[in-house]
Amino acid sequence: MTDHLGELAALYALGILDPREARAAEEHLLGCDACRRLLAQAQADVTAMAAAQEQLEPPTRERAPVVRPVTFGLNRMWLAAAAAFAIAILPAGYLFEQNLAMHQAMLADEQAMARIAASPHRSVAFSGMDAHVMYGPDGSWYCIVIRGASAPLHVVWPHDGTRTMLGTAVPHGDVALLYLPKSHRMDQLTLMQDDREVGQAQLVF
Amino acid sequence: MSALAVERPRSMRAVPDDEALAAAFAAKERWAFDEAYARFGKLLYSTAYHVLGNAEDAQDCVHDALARVWRSPDSYLRSRGAVRSFLTVCVRNEAITRLRSKTRRRRLEERVAAEPQEHDELGAVDVIEHDRLRAALRTLPAEQRRPLELAYFDYKTHVEIANELHEPLGTIKSRIALGLRKLGAALGAGE
Repeated sequence: MTDHLGELAALYALGILDPREARAAEEHLLGCDACRRLLAQAQADVTAMAAAQEQLEPPTRERAPVVRPVTFGLNRMWLAAAAAFAIAILPAGYLFEQNLAMHQAMLADEQAMARIAASPHRSVAFSGMDAHVMYGPDGSWYCIVIRGASAPLHVVWPHDGTRTMLGTAVPHGDVALLYLPKSHRMDQLTLMQDDREVGQAQLVF
Repeated sequence: MSALAVERPRSMRAVPDDEALAAAFAAKERWAFDEAYARFGKLLYSTAYHVLGNAEDAQDCVHDALARVWRSPDSYLRSRGAVRSFLTVCVRNEAITRLRSKTRRRRLEERVAAEPQEHDELGAVDVIEHDRLRAALRTLPAEQRRPLELAYFDYKTHVEIANELHEPLGTIKSRIALGLRKLGAALGAGE
C-alpha cells in the first residue's frame, strides 16, 4: 500500500480490515510517521470505547500467568529465549504476526486453488446456496468453494444410508474453501450448518 | 536490553508519567511492561472478555498479546501513540482473530449453550443498559451509529457492513471513521 491510510486507520484500529488489507496497512505504517500518528488517534478512540464498557477484574487464580512473562524473575529465561527467537527468526512486527494464522490459512487456500487450476476438473453447483464443488474426473480430489459464508459449514458425503463427515469449510473473508484429497468417487455431497442441510450437489463421473 | 535497563530508574520510583512510560516501553525496559500491566491489566482483560465472552479465553488472549509485544523487536514505536491505547488495540485485535478462528468459534458456540460459569454477578444486571459506551453511542446519528456498532460489537468487516446496510463501501468507511472520532471525543479520548 503506497497511499496513506486515511479512513482505513479507524477500520484498522477497530480490527475489521480483512487480512490482506491489514497486512498492507501494517507495511505502510512501518514507513509512514504521519499514518502512525493518525492510527494513534484511532487507537485512542477505540480504547475510549473499551474503557466505557463494563470493567471486569481478572480472576485472581488466573492473574499470575498473565503477569508472569513480564513481571516475575522466574520467566527471565523464557523471555530471553523468546526474545532471541524473535530477533533471529521473527523479524516481522507484532501486528503482522497477529494476522499470521489467517494469512497462512488463506495461502493454503490459494495453493489448493493453484493446483486445481492446473488440473483437468469438473464443476457442479450446490443447490440452495452460492457454492460449487470442483473435482477430479477420477474422483481423486474435491474442492468445495462457498461464497458469502458467514459460519463454518460441514461437508458431508451421504451414501449407503449413512452420512460421512468429510471436513469443515471455514470462512476467510466471505469465501469458505475446503480441499479434499479423497480417492472415493462421491456422487453426492451435502453442506450442513449445525444439523441443518443447506446445500446439495450431484456429481457425475 | 542491558541488565541495568531492567531495573526501574530511581528517579521513577514514584509514578512515571505517560511519556516516561512510553519511552521506556519502546526501549523494551522490563519495568515498563510491569508498570503497563499494573496500570492497564484490568482494561486489557475486560477488552478481551467483552470480545470472547469467557474468562479463560480472555486471560489467554491478554497473555499471548503481551508476550508477542514483548518478543517482537519493533512492536511499539513512540509515534504509535499511548501505551494504553496501543496495548488495548493489540489485545482487541488478538481477541477478534481468535474469535474468528475455527476452534474458538466452535468453543464459543458451545459456551453460548452452556450456563455461565464466570462473572455471574453480571447476569443480574442489564449490562447493555448500564454501560457508558451504549449511552454514548446513542448520541450519534443513526447513519454513523449502526455501522460503528456492527464493527465494534459484531466484528464485521467494512465490506460485510456495506452489504448488510446496502450502502456504498466508501460511505461506510467514512461513517465509521467519523462516528469513531466523534465517539472518542465524546468519551474523552486523548491521543
